[in-house]
Amino acid sequence: MLVRYVARRFLASLVVVLGVTLLTLILMDRTRGTYVPGIDLNPSLRPEDIENLRANLGLDRPFYVWYLTWIGAVLHGDFGHSMIDGSPVLSHILDRLPNTLELTATAIVIGVLIAVPLGVIGALRRGSKTDHALTVTSVAGFAVPQFWMGLMLILIFSVTLEQHGLPWLPSSGAYSAFNGGDFLDRVEHLILPATVLSFFYTSIWSRFIRSSMLEVLSQDYIRTARAKGMSERRVVYLHGLRNALIPLITLIGLELPGLVSGGLVVEVVFGWPGIGKLAFERALQYDYTTVMGVTFFATLLVIAGNLLADLLYGVLDPRIRYG
Amino acid sequence: MIGPSRVAELEMPGAGVETAAARPAQSYWNESWERLRDNRLGMAAGVLILVLALIAVLAPVFSAVLTHYEPQTINLDQTFVRPGASHLLGTDELGRDTLTRLIWGARVSLGVAFLTVAMSLSVGTTVGMVAGYYGGWIDDVLMRLVDTVLAIPAIFLFILMSILFRPNAVTLAAIVASVGWGSVARLVRGEVLSVKQRDFILATRSIGARDSRLMVRHLLPNVLPVLIVAASLGVGQIILVEAALDFLGLGIQPPTPSWGNMLTNAQSYFFHSGFLVAFPGITIFVTVLASNIFGNAVRDAFDPRLKSH
Amino acid sequence: MSRDEDHKDDGFAQFEQFLEEWSRRDFLKRTGGAAAYLSFMGGGLAAFLEACAGGTSSNTPTAKKGGHVVEGNFSDIRTLNSMLSSDTASNQVIGLMFDGLLNYKKDGSLIPALAQDLPKTNSDGTVYTFKLRSGLKWSDGQPLTSDDVKFTYQLAYDPQYKAVTSPRRGDLSKYIKSIDTPDPQTVVITTTQVFAPFLSSHARYGILPKHVLGSLDAKAINTAPFNTAPNVSNGAFKFVKWDKGSQVTMERSDSYWAGAPNLDQWIYKVLPDSVAVTNQLKTGEIDIGPVDPSQFDAVKSADNVAVTEFAVPSFTFYAYQLDPAKKGGQLFSDKSVRQALLFALNRDQVVSAVYFGHGSVANSVEPPTSWAYKQKPQVLYSFDKGKAESLLDSAGWTKGGDGIRAKNGVKLKFDMITNAGNKQRESMLQVMQQSWKDIGVDATPSLIQFPQLVSQITNIRTFDMFLVGFNFDEDPDQGQLWHSRNTVAGGFNGFDFKNSDVDSILDQAVGTLDKTKRKQLYGQFQDIMSDVVPAPIILFNHGIYGVSKRVMGADFGSFNQYGSRPWNHSVWVTDGK
Repeated sequence: MLVRYVARRFLASLVVVLGVTLLTLILMDRTRGTYVPGIDLNPSLRPEDIENLRANLGLDRPFYVWYLTWIGAVLHGDFGHSMIDGSPVLSHILDRLPNTLELTATAIVIGVLIAVPLGVIGALRRGSKTDHALTVTSVAGFAVPQFWMGLMLILIFSVTLEQHGLPWLPSSGAYSAFNGGDFLDRVEHLILPATVLSFFYTSIWSRFIRSSMLEVLSQDYIRTARAKGMSERRVVYLHGLRNALIPLITLIGLELPGLVSGGLVVEVVFGWPGIGKLAFERALQYDYTTVMGVTFFATLLVIAGNLLADLLYGVLDPRIRYG
Repeated sequence: MIGPSRVAELEMPGAGVETAAARPAQSYWNESWERLRDNRLGMAAGVLILVLALIAVLAPVFSAVLTHYEPQTINLDQTFVRPGASHLLGTDELGRDTLTRLIWGARVSLGVAFLTVAMSLSVGTTVGMVAGYYGGWIDDVLMRLVDTVLAIPAIFLFILMSILFRPNAVTLAAIVASVGWGSVARLVRGEVLSVKQRDFILATRSIGARDSRLMVRHLLPNVLPVLIVAASLGVGQIILVEAALDFLGLGIQPPTPSWGNMLTNAQSYFFHSGFLVAFPGITIFVTVLASNIFGNAVRDAFDPRLKSH
Repeated sequence: MSRDEDHKDDGFAQFEQFLEEWSRRDFLKRTGGAAAYLSFMGGGLAAFLEACAGGTSSNTPTAKKGGHVVEGNFSDIRTLNSMLSSDTASNQVIGLMFDGLLNYKKDGSLIPALAQDLPKTNSDGTVYTFKLRSGLKWSDGQPLTSDDVKFTYQLAYDPQYKAVTSPRRGDLSKYIKSIDTPDPQTVVITTTQVFAPFLSSHARYGILPKHVLGSLDAKAINTAPFNTAPNVSNGAFKFVKWDKGSQVTMERSDSYWAGAPNLDQWIYKVLPDSVAVTNQLKTGEIDIGPVDPSQFDAVKSADNVAVTEFAVPSFTFYAYQLDPAKKGGQLFSDKSVRQALLFALNRDQVVSAVYFGHGSVANSVEPPTSWAYKQKPQVLYSFDKGKAESLLDSAGWTKGGDGIRAKNGVKLKFDMITNAGNKQRESMLQVMQQSWKDIGVDATPSLIQFPQLVSQITNIRTFDMFLVGFNFDEDPDQGQLWHSRNTVAGGFNGFDFKNSDVDSILDQAVGTLDKTKRKQLYGQFQDIMSDVVPAPIILFNHGIYGVSKRVMGADFGSFNQYGSRPWNHSVWVTDGK
């Protein structure tokens, strides 16, 4: 049953991946004009040079020929070489993907760790000043542009702290340029970008936990548990919270697709060497091969994320069955 | 989730199904509006958004009355003037008056936001209703389409499309809406599925009402609260998306002022003219905050279990 | 203006350095700070040193060994193969690891690098004979010989290597006739004709190791692992690793011909934007970084950073569409219109407001860094609104009811394009719009992405006017921009400028090695261009660098910015870390 469902979704996904990559290629090809990827306004370049380069990259062929050649190569696991720097696309992706996942996964974890307590408190103290304050804070949390928050945090926690001789946080990159790379160094660099990214999640999820808790706490079985004399604490945490968290898992699952591209702005602000930043820069430079490769993977991950979310939902909510 | 029609039944004890079917919507709506009106913070937020929308629409009038400056006239002798008598909110790196640009920027930022929401909602609602109502293969096909749209990493698509269409407000709205309608469709479809089985729907169908009439007159009002919430929250989120695109260099291009590109532009001058960053930043924050609060207030009003008082 | 600042900064940096070393001796207490500074600058250093009883008699601090430098820039590198690179980031990093036959001094004059001396030329200037230094070694111990030099150039000119996508192919295949290697120390390059820019433009490419790349066929060279991880190099530093998107790490090469560098490591770090440069110079996360004019004051105010500013051979200019078949061409074919629009621009204000004073108004098409620069060409353009209006009036462009000038029913109305993302250019378009609105001309700015701008300029060419910047190297030749042969599809003369006088002057000027004659020819060239103004130069940019005060020996200058820096190995850090 489940296997057939997954298989069907998988086949449909292939169609989606093909569609998305083709769309990406069409958009790039239609807008490129006569620009040859990687070639800037360089006085030493002549028209013949540019023609030569264009032919070498296969850009003189119509896009569908290019696409079919590319698909053929991909089926062999060959994602080609970047048009800008000639290095294998796969190496670019595999170098950066872990960085992106590290960033977004950390942000999600921080988000959950902060959202759950905030939501529970809000639900338990419904209507009180605390609840109002929390509501306003969380609602304010997703009213701030991410890039602005990032730049402000850099200003405060990096530059200002350093100027006053206090311990300060680095402002770009995933690790220190010199002698960096160890665990603590990476954590130091992760703090600011993950905080900015998690702000968004925290705000939404704390609201959600709150309403979910309220809904659960108004259910009959909770009333029954109370009537049976169970302690308030057990009622709230054992029964209430556990059930309220179930939809949260779905929500997190809904974020899985965004894992790859959700952090793009944060990656750009903090110079985080992730896949979002890679795609953004290469798209503007018309590096077909890299962008197609990244889109392929990103779409696959989005679909996998969607599938995982749906499966989790099915597993956790016994009312849903898949046919 | 308890649908609005069930609440209506609870509110009128002893009423038969027919009575509920005949007037399920009215008292529920009245009740909800009253709840909304009681939420003073929510109403204030809603009013604020209306005021901003008014400013956006009447930008030329407001700027002529308040400041007498044009948004794009530069004056290189008056750059980085601090807020004061001659320029209420100061001037930027080309001597343009900040307040004037904020007023005209409202036109762009709010315009894009409202337009995007309108487009996503219309397309999404139609698709969601048709899919939810008819079910079967129509539902399958439409939902596969929605899945495809939702599978595209949105930001990638924005980047590529922004390169394709040199964005003005309308094309930018279309670009953002082209990925936004998917989640609206899913949302609407979910609501339609839960309402579809209600007795009053079955009853109306049995007396031979046309599908479209059914969808518009009976399904739509039940779906409306969800749409209002989505619209309100959406306006805020689109403003942020537009600001992010401006930051990436892909949104509304200067010299046309938008709150997002004013904020992005001012970053380099933060060290000596922080006010240039503060004013658009605060404007964006307050507007998005208002839209968030209003959206939450509507949601609380239409779903009474969740209200905070 | 910049020269004085230069000296002041250098002096102050040295003074601070001096204080740091002698603070123990209560120098200031005894002499008073101001007096100390003055006397220091006045050259009384020796006297003070003696007064402090002891210490070295040299007046330059001795270089400390060890430590690292982090240099930041905005883009990641693309390749580390000197014959494939076309962007400044790659050239910059390649310059740290690979030397060429020659290099530039700060002022653009050529100095020998891998070659022992400047080459001997034969009487008609078509044969260059280079003698390599003796004992040159690659970082893996193999000797560096003339075969390596020949191989390197072959990648770009030899038909056998046609499939190598080298951006150097155009010039090198046109101008190199043959390269001979009579012995391992001698390279003889024969050109097809006299080509004056040859040495300056083409003798500085990093030499590649034949024993590593020689066995590969042409196509394989394009994607060789060497290009992204060059395990063998001949420069001051050698490659350690490239963390894509983050940084390139390089370490000291003890076999470098000029002597092992002082530093242990040189790291090239990728930064998000110009504000990040400022922030990280302040916090010390980077030691060296290029400073945007808008950030100058912020960086200057940091007490741990020294800022250096200098003229560079790059300028910002806008071009009139001159193709008569296009709309712009009809508007701008009249010289009076072109001149009038230039007179209407207050370029001093542009430099001070848009570039915060870090630039110079351009009088000529040659940059002031060029030895052929003529400070006062035939026609000079100051800001003269009255003259602009009268020129337009006499040309028949009269103001209509709406304030816009028109002639024969055609309005003086056009679009201007430049690339999005460059703040100064965006601002400049608006200044141009405003200035021209004041004289009755309707110009509308439009921002497009950089690839689209390049497409427009080189091929599509539907623009009325574009604004862009250009970087030249040391040779005054500007044929790529102004020669009519480059109006073909793909060339940079996208505004269709065709002037047979200019063509013949440019051709003559590259056809002789006689510097005096060339200077005279370029003088004529600048005169004609100042009169005809097909594409007025607005300003010459300045290069600005922020260097941490712990870094010594980094001598940035007009031609020592990116790839050509002969002093890389002598850079050292005061704290040795």
